[in-house]
Amino acid sequence: MANTGWDEFEIGAMLRTFEGSIDDIAGTLQEDRKYTENSSFSASVADWRIEKPIFAKDYCIDCQFCWIYCPDISIISRDKKMIGIDMDHCKGCGICVEVCPTNPKSLLMFPEQADEETEIAQWPAKETKEK
Amino acid sequence: MAFDKMELRDIEVWDGNFAAAQALRQCQIDVVAAYPITPSTPIVEGYAKFLADNYVEGEFVMVESEHAAMSGCIGAAAAGGRVATATSSQGFALMVETLYQASGMRLPIVLNVVNRALAAPLNVNGDHSDMYLGRDSGWIQFDSYCPQDAYDLNFIAFRVAEDHDVRLPCMVHQDGFMTSHTAQGVHTMDDDTAYSFVGDFKPMNDMLDFEHPVTHGVQTEEDWHFEHKARQHNDLMTKVMPKIQAAFDDFKTLTGREYNIVERYDMDDADVCVVCMGTSVETAREVALEMRAKGIKAGVVGIRVVRPFPFFEIQEALKDVKAIAALDRSAPGGAPGMLFNEIAGCLFNTDTKALLSGYIYGLGGRDLTKKHLVDLFTELQANVDAGKVLTPLQQFIGVRGPKLQFL
Amino acid sequence: MSEMKKIKNLKEFSTSADRFEGANLLCPGCAHSIIVREVLNATNDDLVLSASTGCLEVCTAVYPYTSWDASWIHIGFENGSTAVAGAEAMYNALKNKGRLKQPDRNPKFVSFAGDGASYDIGFQWISGCMERGHNIMHVVLDNEVYANTGGQRSSSTPIGSSATTSPAGRVSYGEKKNKKDMVAIMASHGIPYSAQVAPNKWKDMVKKIQHGMAVDGPVFINAVSPCTTEWKFDPKDTMMLTDLSTDSLVFPLYEIIDGHELNITYRPKNVVPVEEYLAAQGRFKHLFKDEYKYLIKEWQERVDANWAYLNRREEARV
Repeated sequence: MANTGWDEFEIGAMLRTFEGSIDDIAGTLQEDRKYTENSSFSASVADWRIEKPIFAKDYCIDCQFCWIYCPDISIISRDKKMIGIDMDHCKGCGICVEVCPTNPKSLLMFPEQADEETEIAQWPAKETKEK
Repeated sequence: MAFDKMELRDIEVWDGNFAAAQALRQCQIDVVAAYPITPSTPIVEGYAKFLADNYVEGEFVMVESEHAAMSGCIGAAAAGGRVATATSSQGFALMVETLYQASGMRLPIVLNVVNRALAAPLNVNGDHSDMYLGRDSGWIQFDSYCPQDAYDLNFIAFRVAEDHDVRLPCMVHQDGFMTSHTAQGVHTMDDDTAYSFVGDFKPMNDMLDFEHPVTHGVQTEEDWHFEHKARQHNDLMTKVMPKIQAAFDDFKTLTGREYNIVERYDMDDADVCVVCMGTSVETAREVALEMRAKGIKAGVVGIRVVRPFPFFEIQEALKDVKAIAALDRSAPGGAPGMLFNEIAGCLFNTDTKALLSGYIYGLGGRDLTKKHLVDLFTELQANVDAGKVLTPLQQFIGVRGPKLQFL
Repeated sequence: MSEMKKIKNLKEFSTSADRFEGANLLCPGCAHSIIVREVLNATNDDLVLSASTGCLEVCTAVYPYTSWDASWIHIGFENGSTAVAGAEAMYNALKNKGRLKQPDRNPKFVSFAGDGASYDIGFQWISGCMERGHNIMHVVLDNEVYANTGGQRSSSTPIGSSATTSPAGRVSYGEKKNKKDMVAIMASHGIPYSAQVAPNKWKDMVKKIQHGMAVDGPVFINAVSPCTTEWKFDPKDTMMLTDLSTDSLVFPLYEIIDGHELNITYRPKNVVPVEEYLAAQGRFKHLFKDEYKYLIKEWQERVDANWAYLNRREEARV
């Protein structure tokens, strides 16, 4: 859209979120919606990150703390299960890691370049808490 | 609950405010968000009373300031329906921020502006300061000269504003007190005829269409702002005038009443003319006829559409005249008057040799008398005879104290 | 009346289909979007939204992108409340006239605004909306500062906070005025529901939002929104800060029904000293100098007094 001329867009700088009509937005998951290129869903802020969260599914208890407290709608939960991270929209704030209650945590922050498989393979062990 | 129709006589004795209120009723406005201010208050009071008496169906939101009035109108218009309000002077000034937002979002709101001076010093009477304040706001501006115009131009305004090729808000101006509070005979339309002229509201990009959510009022910075402003200006410059002319033509067919983008009175053979707006047009017309009896071929040009400015229509109207007086009813704030500048701009690259002089008059409701206009036409004829402007280019008319003139 | 969305627990809540999108431009760790998500996900009804000028607005509708999956409008800094009030008026008009495109819906009208846009510049507009009885909800994203313009004090900025226009310096401890009690002011309009909420207590939040959406008339919600940039803490600690704000009772969670009946909705098991809340934020760092430590004591006394007042109000049942 970068080269769009003044005569090529909707008047009033109005933006539409969806292509065509959508009957029940609250009942339609993201993957079933037809977003326009104007929805920020179509954009990415991945380049904001310095660190990224990696999700180790084996330790997850699906408490959904990360889902509720993620400011960037980047925790993908479906059917009450945490299934992954939307890396296009994650800004790397680290809130998900902080609120993760498992031991060891199911989410940890790593440098953006870190390899997911490698890090999961060497995931920290359970911490024994000192009394 | 269905509303009741109102039986009107063919000619009613209405002041400009009531004429505008009746037009709002007949257009069946969905939402009026308004705040009272002299002298425009009776327009929205009129709508409220029609609502209370079931002569209209809609929502009247009596808000807590003019800024909120236009804010509410913007929200309502974006939601998708017919919206109008009224204001004057200080209220208009308070609205200014939102005027730009309404036009930038391309929302077809109709604002009746009952023209009144701007403080300080405080003044409740008519001049065109508020009209001039709105002239760069991206709205379409119509000017009424009498209650009949105030009635008719509201229908024209809705018709043009709501056209999907236009989608720009419209102001309908009338002079405070001189038009708004002066009862005259007004030819009416019956309710069905009036409504059929404006037609049903056709929503566009409406927030209440839940199957097509829209985002209104985005931020654009240096990468997009210019294009959006350019689009708006393009539409004002190229799309609006043909729609206005078409509406005027249809209106004439319907009612027999003719409106023109620029009104010309006795201009066919005129040597001298004044260009003015509002109630002054009617006074000037009368004086021009009297001047003709004295041998001065006088004419009058009235601006009917203030914005977009009728550049070519003014050129055409003034092409054969020898001396022109631009009458500005607003303190010019250290410059020639707006009409003086706009007319000069129209004529500058043309073949005309017309002499142009500017007059500031009528501030704060000061009368423009026939005597003033007789002197003015005489002065213009003297300019014609001398082949040059004999006076300074800017003169104040009707102000006490030593003659005030500049440039 | 539409059926209220059933949200028994967080797992059930997590099946919500968000109507607010990522790749908005809010700072990493911004609490605004956590609050917005909890508000929007509290209902499945259609929404008509507004945002007043501020962080949320400038970060979610920067052309050519929108982060909103429902109709949304921004006009100016002061008038987001009136924008949705106007839309609500149009909804009522079109409903009565039988012109709604989808007449079977029950849309909720919600305006979001920062504390600057609510406590200061938009105060009159909100007061007007509350007084006139529009069926709208106004949600303040209260980060106690003009964050969008770089950290100037608002009438929500608390005593001792260092803001750019009331900076701490060699002879100043920063902001000198206490925060305006906006919930009380709004409740005084006699509106059916006003409440203070915090995003950490999501269940309390959802309950209040659902209550607010179910009542007929204007609703005022004040949501604490810790600001990583202006409160000066690490983005990962947003929820920790929110916990400290509620558990120190600096932001007590309560509701006021019909302008008078006050209920405290959250009583921390372990009340955290205010000092811990202050110590976690850079904006209060200077208060820990010897000469300003008396202010921390005064802070605690003020919070205690307010808590006692809220308890008395609740007990009085008036």
